[in-house]
Amino acid sequence: MALELIDVHKSYPMNIGRKHVLRGVNATFRRGERVGVLGRNGTGKSTLVRMLGRIEAPTRGKIQSSMSVSWPIGLAAGFQSALSGADNCRFIARIYDRPVQATVDYVESFAELGEYLNMPVNTYSSGMRSRLGLAISLAIDFDCFLVDEALAVGDTKFGRAFAARIQNSGLIIVTHQPSLVRQLCTRAAVLDQGTLTFYEDIDEALATYNSL
Amino acid sequence: MSGSGSEPLLIDCARQQVRVIGALIVREMHTRFGRHRFGYLWLFFEPLLLGAMIALIHGFRGGDSVRNTFEFFSIGYIMFFAFRGMINRASSTITANRGLLYHRQVTLPDLFYARHIIEAVACTGVMAIFTIAGIALGGEPPDSIVKMLCALGLMVLLAQGIALVVGALTSEWEALDRLVHAMSYLMLPFSGLFFMVEWLPEWMQAIMLWVPTVHIFELLRDGQFGDRFRATYDLTYVAYWILVPHLLGLVGLRLARQRIGLE
Repeated sequence: MALELIDVHKSYPMNIGRKHVLRGVNATFRRGERVGVLGRNGTGKSTLVRMLGRIEAPTRGKIQSSMSVSWPIGLAAGFQSALSGADNCRFIARIYDRPVQATVDYVESFAELGEYLNMPVNTYSSGMRSRLGLAISLAIDFDCFLVDEALAVGDTKFGRAFAARIQNSGLIIVTHQPSLVRQLCTRAAVLDQGTLTFYEDIDEALATYNSL
Repeated sequence: MSGSGSEPLLIDCARQQVRVIGALIVREMHTRFGRHRFGYLWLFFEPLLLGAMIALIHGFRGGDSVRNTFEFFSIGYIMFFAFRGMINRASSTITANRGLLYHRQVTLPDLFYARHIIEAVACTGVMAIFTIAGIALGGEPPDSIVKMLCALGLMVLLAQGIALVVGALTSEWEALDRLVHAMSYLMLPFSGLFFMVEWLPEWMQAIMLWVPTVHIFELLRDGQFGDRFRATYDLTYVAYWILVPHLLGLVGLRLARQRIGLE
């Protein structure tokens, strides 16, 4: 089971001409692999994540998936911010055909939101938002979790619980924080100038990233 | 966008779509009316109030022809209210739900369908209330409830087709929104709400029968009043007005999904 990108290009229309964000990305993410993708700001990290989540179509190339991949979990992603965390939880459980109450219970015990679970998401701090997103996706359960800058995942109680929980799942995390990649991943890649380069050794990837 | 290597079965897709639309309906009710226990009543109260006010204003102007009765305006007005509401809300449908598009099983048409189902249910409920109120006020029971429900169904489908087109167009050209609001308002006198075709001079009848809502209002009145009027309608013509915008709108939304940025 894998998620494959075959010669993926993406460009957006600009005032003059087009902006080419991805220029021929090839990659294979296997089930159970935990991959960190490092990239500086504006190198197309979020674009790549949306392609991997197949919520945006590539301009050219192909994306094939034979495993279940989460939606891109990030700060704003996938929430209705006027609704409470619990309501968002219920909505997502419904569309993924999971038991509603069990999902809410899981998130309640895992996300450490306390009373905020019943408050609108637009009152949340960024840490709370990412905890909510991660907790819901863990409750739904995917072969591969797709994470776009999960700020709360650090050396906190939640961070350690999250790291322990995904030991047996796949993960693709796209970030500009090398420490996250070191903490969570088994493989790393660097996104620069529209291409993605994989490194077998994480230290090598971090060294390349730091020299950019 | 299939989930795995093998193509999913059509029935599974249908089940998924039903699930998504169901979840969207619940979510839409929460955002629109809050989580208070009686918040849902607003759904009925708003058209109820508007329809009743319009009907009373027209009703008290005197005369005793059917035109001045409560049922003629109240039920017609809420149907127009639903039609206009669906089209006017179309331009905000995508922007209001953009965050949900992060879940790949949520499609753009689903966002519209969910809203339209809510609208149709509200309209049916208020129509029932007005029908009962009309009888209580001394009117005759409707000639054919089936015809009335058909008229309502056709009105919702007509509005849905147009709403899909408006949704697709406004996702690319936002300014069109203002034009849509003006048009839907200016359409009121030509919609067929205020007249029966047989009351018009002949030259005007031919013109008015180009307007699809006129046919639907004629069908509604046929159901409401039966033989008391000579109703003129051509449902095949209305069907074209439903099918062609649906096709255009669905194609337009497919293109729009590829073009709208998510963040």
